[in-house]
Amino acid sequence: MEIQAGELFEEFQELTASEFFRKNKQMLGFSGKIRSLTIVFHELITNSFDAAEEAGMLPEIKIDLKRLDKDHYILRHTDNGPGIPENFVTKVFCTMFAGSKFRNIQSRGQQGLGCSGCVLLSQMTTGKPAKIISGYKEKGELKGVQMTLKMDVKKNQGLVLDKKVVEVKHTGVCLELHFKDVSYSLSEQGAFEYIRRTMIANPHAKIVFRDPTGHKYIFKRASDVIPPLPKEVLPHPRGVTADDLIFMAKHTDKRRFRSLLTSSLSRMSTKRVNEIQKLTGIDLNKRPKDMKWEEAEQIVDLFAKMDFMAPPTSGLIPIGEAQIEKGIVGILNPEFVSAISRKPVTYRGGVAFIIEAGIAYGGDSGRMVGDQRKAEIMRFANRVPLTFDQGSCAITEGLKSIDWKRYGIRDMESAPITIFVNIVSTQVPYLSTGKQSVAPEPEILHEVRQTAMTVARKLQKYLRAKKAEKEEAMRSKIFEEYVPVILKEAALLAETDVPEYQPVLAKVTRRALAELLGEPIDED
Amino acid sequence: MKTRKEITINKLKGLGQTIVEDVTQNKVPSLNVPSRGTSNIVYDENKRHYVLGERYGKRSLGNVKQIKKIGQMVYMANFCKQLVEREKTATLRELYYVSEGWDVEFGTQDESNIVGEDLEVTLGMTREDLGLMPEEDGASVYGDLTIKEDDLEINALRSGKSGYTISPTINEVEFVDHDVKRVIAVETMGMFHRMVQESAYKKFDTLIVGLKGQAARATRRFLKRVNDELNLPVYICNDGDPWGFHIAQVIISGSAKLAHVNHDLATPDAKFLGVTASDIINYDLPTDPLKDIDVLRLKELLKDPRYRDEAWKTEIKKMLKIGKKAEQQSFSKYGLEYVVDTYFPEKLEKLE
Repeated sequence: MEIQAGELFEEFQELTASEFFRKNKQMLGFSGKIRSLTIVFHELITNSFDAAEEAGMLPEIKIDLKRLDKDHYILRHTDNGPGIPENFVTKVFCTMFAGSKFRNIQSRGQQGLGCSGCVLLSQMTTGKPAKIISGYKEKGELKGVQMTLKMDVKKNQGLVLDKKVVEVKHTGVCLELHFKDVSYSLSEQGAFEYIRRTMIANPHAKIVFRDPTGHKYIFKRASDVIPPLPKEVLPHPRGVTADDLIFMAKHTDKRRFRSLLTSSLSRMSTKRVNEIQKLTGIDLNKRPKDMKWEEAEQIVDLFAKMDFMAPPTSGLIPIGEAQIEKGIVGILNPEFVSAISRKPVTYRGGVAFIIEAGIAYGGDSGRMVGDQRKAEIMRFANRVPLTFDQGSCAITEGLKSIDWKRYGIRDMESAPITIFVNIVSTQVPYLSTGKQSVAPEPEILHEVRQTAMTVARKLQKYLRAKKAEKEEAMRSKIFEEYVPVILKEAALLAETDVPEYQPVLAKVTRRALAELLGEPIDED
Repeated sequence: MKTRKEITINKLKGLGQTIVEDVTQNKVPSLNVPSRGTSNIVYDENKRHYVLGERYGKRSLGNVKQIKKIGQMVYMANFCKQLVEREKTATLRELYYVSEGWDVEFGTQDESNIVGEDLEVTLGMTREDLGLMPEEDGASVYGDLTIKEDDLEINALRSGKSGYTISPTINEVEFVDHDVKRVIAVETMGMFHRMVQESAYKKFDTLIVGLKGQAARATRRFLKRVNDELNLPVYICNDGDPWGFHIAQVIISGSAKLAHVNHDLATPDAKFLGVTASDIINYDLPTDPLKDIDVLRLKELLKDPRYRDEAWKTEIKKMLKIGKKAEQQSFSKYGLEYVVDTYFPEKLEKLE
């Protein structure tokens, strides 16, 4: 019997974002037990950092991870941020795609999925509600509210099970979530390593972490400088698509398309707009809403051929050389460290980015494998550690293409070295939704290489000096050993007394040192 | 006039004094050791042998790489001084073992041999002067020559059929008396015995010297001394191939490697008697074809300044042209006596 279309569509329904992600949690990064927990840490920590920095505070986080049973954990995450006003709490934690970061701005998180995603995972795996205490200031007054929430997945909104006013000592959010099907691990992909790396890229933060065994780790602040807030920058013409233009046209309050172009895109002068009008023959004085898709496509095609100034870089805030070095010293306590922040450049012609790299040698640098330290690569995007999918990442590829032997590192694999690379951009070109690896754009690969080679040269210089120092010690030992016996023998040969040789011994030792350092040698 | 022993001791002592004086004046001592690299070996047309050029290598107490070498030289100098003072000798091998007790020991015997040469060139003395001896004995000598080794008088005609063996200490040997007019040195002991059996020493009033291949330092010193001190002409008869040529040439003009002692070893007036390429043709000797390595060596000899005179050049070219070589013993094609009865008289007549 033939089924009619109407019957088929009886089942037709609309999926809310929450429902969609409930079925596709891997798209939030929740795949695998270890990775799921690391992603939870990532989402909560980045949110806390962003919140504190936006409020002009030095971030301080307390994380308490308790294990109730195999694979069953309770996570308590407390920050010192500005907190969330009562009427926004359910939105933040229970509604997906609700957030403040949909702008063209350099930020850690981007999609407004973080907190609600964690609540979703908790609810999916344990059925337990989320407990939240928010301390915030309202009209100069410190207020506290405690809520127990569940997520109504069908409606993509929060369900308040319990709510009461509580007393708080300071602003900030305390979130308590149950998780099952996750696993705490000390591996490179695990939550602990995530915190450690986070601290390197964020030396202005403080994290106190109590692990499931009850051990308390205190990651102290290595710097008191709050990173300046990145400014929102207008997208560069080369970075927009026809769809972007149509979207802008729909949501603008401008009356003419030409003024939309100049006000929504960077590097777009009136002269350029006139040029576009002339070359495309499109009347740019029409209302934005009248812009047709074909016309938008035509304009975008033209953008690719036109000469624009490179995009503004004021929106990019690098960690900075000094801060990277502080972060590395704080966590790795290395024998040698050097960091560098390159000048901003662009990829795909229109997206500005900065590559920063640091290199650490000795101390706790490198990863312990068995009883030997091996080189490790720490990848970051906008200060956020990238711990998964390292194989295809531009950072890994760029570093692997360097001939490390040229920098005095004979066996890169088994050297006690940590290489830190951070990419800073308003649009980091991630390879997948998990946002764990950077697309190997040629410009990014080039910058990674150049940056890493610069710090490698500094390390090489240090290693050389160290070797020379060792040699120097050996050399003076040779003199101290040989000079007395040779002169005793020479005196025997000359049938005289052994002469006073200390001044000569001092002289040859000094001279050998000068020779070693390539300084001019004082002749007799 | 001072004896060689006194000169040696003074020179060794002087080495120590230079170092001690430098240190007393707060200067970093260093020794100039004449370089023995090929680029510093030049053929001296007047002296007619190789000499060392002007280049020096420095051994400084202030250089990590050189301090050990300078130390080894000082230790070795002390050891040699004791040898000379006590009129003893030690072989290079013995020296190497003695050095194991030093604070600046050698890695290999080659290393100690090289430092020995350093000491020789620096002081301008031969190693025999310093009491250092090679392992091997020198050549055999047969003929009416009386010598004195310490208190022992030896006549080389009455030392058995293998004659008197030249000792490494040939410098100390005194020539007492002789009744010969010339010296004939031959490459092989086979030829040596042939000449003894055929009484060549009587026929030619000659000393017969069996070189046993490349002539040892002591042998060359002996030939030099008989030529200088007894005014005896020296003739050399070797195989007719590039190697035989060169054994003769080293006796005549000295070796490149020992350029620093050639003044004591080279006998520029010694003459090459044969076997030449012309002999091969004139006497129709049984031959072997030249091997590639022989041809290569002959071509090398053509470029060597020691072979610059026309007679040599002609012979070398001739040998290359006929592509053949012949041994000394090949004369026995005409009977065992032929070489002594016919070949030597004819050749000697030509040369004298």
